[in-house]
Amino acid sequence: MDGAGVGIAFWALAFVTLGAAGGVMVSRNLLHAVLLLIVTFIGVAGFFVLLSAEFIAMAQIVIYVGAIAVLMLFAIVLTPRTIRDNSETAMVGPAILLGIALGTVFLFVIYDTEWAVVASDPALSAEDLGKALLSTWVLPFEIASVLLTAALVGAIMLVRTSEEEAEDDA
Amino acid sequence: MSEIVQSEPFVMNIGPQHPSTHGVFRVKATVDGERIIDAEMVIGYLHRSMEKLAEERTYTQNIPFTDRTDYLSSMSNNLGYCLAVEKLADIEVPERGQAIRVIMAELQRVASHCMGAGAFANDTGAWQTPIMWFMREREKILDIFEMTSGARLTCNYMRIGGVAFDLPESFEEEVRAFIPAMRQTIDDGEGLLSGNEIFIARARNVAVVPHEMAINASLSGPMLRGSGVAWDIRKADPYCGYEQYDFEIPIGYQGDAYDRFIIRIEEMRQSLKIVEQALDGLPGGPHSTEVPLALRPPAGEAYARIESPRGELGYYLVSDEGPSPYRFHIRPPSLINLTVLREMTVGGSIADAIVALGSIDIVVGEIDR
Amino acid sequence: MGPLVTDHWYDLRDLSNISREILEGIDKVAPSEVAYIVAPVLGFVAFFLIFVLPSQLIVGVYGERRIIGRMQARRGPNRVGPFGLLQPIADAIKLLQKEALTPKTADRAIMWAAPIFFVAPAVLLFATIPFGPRMIFADIPVALIYFIAISALPVLAAFMAGWGSNNKYSLYGAMRVVAMSVSYEVPLVLSLLAVVVFSSTMSLQGIVLFQADVNLWLVFMMPLAFLIYFISVSAELNRTPTDIAEAESEIVAGYLTEYSGMKWGLFYGMDIGYALAASAFAATVFLGGWSMWGLEEWVPPWMIFIAKTHLFYFVFIWTRGTLPRLRIDQLMAFAWKFLLPLAVFNLFLVSLERLLWVENDIGDGIVFAFAAGNLVASAAAAYLWARLLGYRPERIPTKPRLVREAGGYVPVEGQTGGGE
Repeated sequence: MDGAGVGIAFWALAFVTLGAAGGVMVSRNLLHAVLLLIVTFIGVAGFFVLLSAEFIAMAQIVIYVGAIAVLMLFAIVLTPRTIRDNSETAMVGPAILLGIALGTVFLFVIYDTEWAVVASDPALSAEDLGKALLSTWVLPFEIASVLLTAALVGAIMLVRTSEEEAEDDA
Repeated sequence: MSEIVQSEPFVMNIGPQHPSTHGVFRVKATVDGERIIDAEMVIGYLHRSMEKLAEERTYTQNIPFTDRTDYLSSMSNNLGYCLAVEKLADIEVPERGQAIRVIMAELQRVASHCMGAGAFANDTGAWQTPIMWFMREREKILDIFEMTSGARLTCNYMRIGGVAFDLPESFEEEVRAFIPAMRQTIDDGEGLLSGNEIFIARARNVAVVPHEMAINASLSGPMLRGSGVAWDIRKADPYCGYEQYDFEIPIGYQGDAYDRFIIRIEEMRQSLKIVEQALDGLPGGPHSTEVPLALRPPAGEAYARIESPRGELGYYLVSDEGPSPYRFHIRPPSLINLTVLREMTVGGSIADAIVALGSIDIVVGEIDR
Repeated sequence: MGPLVTDHWYDLRDLSNISREILEGIDKVAPSEVAYIVAPVLGFVAFFLIFVLPSQLIVGVYGERRIIGRMQARRGPNRVGPFGLLQPIADAIKLLQKEALTPKTADRAIMWAAPIFFVAPAVLLFATIPFGPRMIFADIPVALIYFIAISALPVLAAFMAGWGSNNKYSLYGAMRVVAMSVSYEVPLVLSLLAVVVFSSTMSLQGIVLFQADVNLWLVFMMPLAFLIYFISVSAELNRTPTDIAEAESEIVAGYLTEYSGMKWGLFYGMDIGYALAASAFAATVFLGGWSMWGLEEWVPPWMIFIAKTHLFYFVFIWTRGTLPRLRIDQLMAFAWKFLLPLAVFNLFLVSLERLLWVENDIGDGIVFAFAAGNLVASAAAAYLWARLLGYRPERIPTKPRLVREAGGYVPVEGQTGGGE
C-alpha cells in the first residue's frame, strides 16, 4: 500500500491509538478506562487494514470490541463500587521503573533491526486463511472449538442458583 | 459462587409517573435482577375525601360525586348510588326509567371495556393499534352520551327515582347505527390479538389467580369470572329488570391475564345484545318518579350493589332522617381486586407485573375516592 | 453492466460517472493529495447526504408515522408543509432548540460520547453498499464481516447511554440491550454465513453479481436465512416486536430515559438510519441488490436498489404497527432454542447443495430446483421444530365459556394446555 492517504491514515491512527492507550492508564474511573480500551482496539484494527489484512481487522473488531469489551464492561458493572477505582496504589514506583526498562529494551531492538520493505503485497485473503485453518492447522482449530464449548458450559454451570440445581437432581 | 458475584435486591418504584399505571398509583417493587420478590402498593395520590364531603350535601347533590370516582364508567356509578337511595327511601322506578338505565349502563360497559381491553393491549406492547380502533368506537358512545345527558365523561344522568331527561329523538337511530360498527370493531380487535402468538405468550399463564384465592379475596367482575367462577350480580341478584333480558356471562379457564382479556371482549358483545333487546322492548310512560327536592329518607341503612365494568360496585348509605346521608361509603371493585396484586406479581418479572396491572383494569379514582 | 450504460457524466443510470469526472478534473489542476482528500468527502456527500439522509427523513420519520397512523385508523402528520412532508424538518428544528438536560449525578463524558458511537454504524455501513455496478464507495472484499463488526458498535453505545445516565430504568434498558444483542448475533452470523457459502464471496458487489449471474435472488434460495436475518436484525435494531430495550410502557424509554434535545434526536434519527442500513444490506444480499433480471439497463439501478430497501423497511414498519412485544426471557429463549438450530439446519442444507453443485459441475439451472426444494424444506423444518418445542396453538381456547346461571366455580373439563 502506498500513497499519501496511507501516511495520513497511519499517523492519525497512531495518534488515536496511543492517546487512548495512555488514557486507559491515566484515567481514574475504571469504566472510562474500558471505553478508551475499546478505542484502542478499533485503532489496532485500523492498523491491520493498513497492512492489507482486512479479514483480521474485521475479526479484531468482532471479537475484541463485540465480545471481550462487553465482557469487561459486565465484569466492571458487577463489582461493588469500592473496588472499582483506578486510583494510585503502592505499585506506582516499581511500575514506572519496569516501564522505563521495557521501553529501553524496545528502543534497542527497534534500532538494531533491519527494516526491509516487503516487495510484494502478500494479500492474505479470507480464502487462504480458511484453507490453512482446515488443512495445516486443523487440530488447534478443533481444540479451540472444544475449549470454547467447555467454557460456555462451565459459565452456565457457574451461575446456576441452588434451586435450579436441586430441580435438576430431583 | 453467589458470594463473589454480589447481587442484592433493590427497591424500584413503578409509578406514580409512569405511562402504564393507569392513573396515579405506585407499586414499590423489590426486585432481584428482573424477578420481583415483593410488591407493595401505595395508594392515596388521588384522595379527594368524597365520602366526607357527601355528608354535607343532599342526596341529589351527591350524584355528581359518584361520576368522578370511577370516571371511566360514570353511568354505572350513578346507577348504583340511585339504587341505594331508592332502597333506603323505598322509591319505585317506572319501567321506562329502568329500561333507559339498562341501556345506559350497558353502553357504558362497552365504553369502559374498550378502554380496559385497549389499555391492556397497550401494556403488552401492541403500539397503540388496538386501542386506537377501540377508541374510535368509544368516541361514538361518548357522543351518544353527550346527546342524552349533556356531558361525555361525567354524565350525571341518573336521578333518584329514574333518569334526568328522557331520550332525545335521534337516540334510537344513532344507537342502532352504532351497534353493527361496534361488532365489526370487536371482531377486528379480537382477530388482531386473540390468536396472536406473541400476545398469547405475553398474557397466558401470567398473573394467575386460582379460584379459591379469587373467592377468598372477594374479587369480582372479570377477575373473578376469569378464574372460572360463574358470578355476575346481574344474574345472581338482579336489579333494574335485568332478569327479563336474555344474555350469557363469559367465564374463563384458569384465571390468567389472557382469560380476563377474552372475557372483556365477550362481555362487550353480550352488552350489545342487551342494548338491542332493551331498545326493542322500550316501554312508554314517565322516565322517573317525582321525588321531593330535599329528600329525607327514613332512618336506616341500605347497601345496593351493581355489576360495574370492573366488578361489584357497592354503595352503603346510612340515613338519620336528615337531608344529607349520615354515612356514605363506596365499595370500590378496583381496590378489592388490587389486594391480590402481590400474589399475582411475586415471582414474575417487571414486564409481567405491568401486564398483571393492566389486566386488573383499575381506575385510581375509585380506589382513592 | 450492459452495453446501454455509458461513460458520459450526464448518464443518470450510473452516477459514478459524475464523481469520476470531478475527481479527474481535480487531478488535472491540483496535486494528487487534494484528490485524495476530496474523494472521501465526495463519497460522504454522495452516499450519505444525498441518498441516505433524505430517505431517512422522508421514509423513516414521515413515512413511518403516516403509515402507522393509517394502520391505527388515524392520519399521520399532515399539517406541516404539503401533505405534512416538512414534518421531519420541523422535528429537527424543535429538537435543536431544546435544552439537552444532563442529570447532575450522571457521567457526563459517557453520556456525551454515547450518541457519537451510535451515529457511526449508519454512516459507515453505507460506504460498502453497492448502489449500482460501479457506484460503490469502498468495495472491500470482507464487506459481510464488516457489517457484523459494525453492528457491535450500537450495542456498546446503548450500554454506555444506559449506564451513564445513573438511573435504574436506564440500567434495565442497557442490560436488556446487551443481553439481546449477544443472543441474536449468533443466528444473524449463521444466516449470513449460509449466504457466503453459497455465493463463495464475502464482498457485497460480488454477491450482487452472483445473483445477477444465476438469475435467482438469494431470498428464494434460502428463505429460512432471510427470515432469520429479518428477526435477528430487528432484534439488533430494537424494533418492535423486540424493542424491550426501549419499551415505553414498561421502563419508560429504557436507556434513552435521561436523554432530551438533540442528543435524543441523534439516537432516534440514527435508529432509523441504522434500520435503513440494515434494510439496504438485506436488499443487497438477499433481494438481488441493484439487479432486476435485466431491467437495470434501462431503469437506473440505484432506483431499483432504493425501492428494494424501502420495501424491506416497510415490512419493519408493518410489524411495528401490528405486533405486541415479547418479554426478555421469551426473546432469548426464542433466539437460542428456535432460531439457532434452524440457522444451523439452513447452513447445512445450503452447504450440501453448494457442494453438489460445484463438485459435479452441473449447470446454473439447478439453482431453481434447489430453491424450490429449500422452500419446502425450510417451511417443514420450521413447523416441525416449533411443534417439537411445544407449540400447540389448537390447545389454546380463544373464546371464553358462556353460562346462563350465576353460581359457584365451574371446573374446566378436559385439558387446556399450550402457550409458553
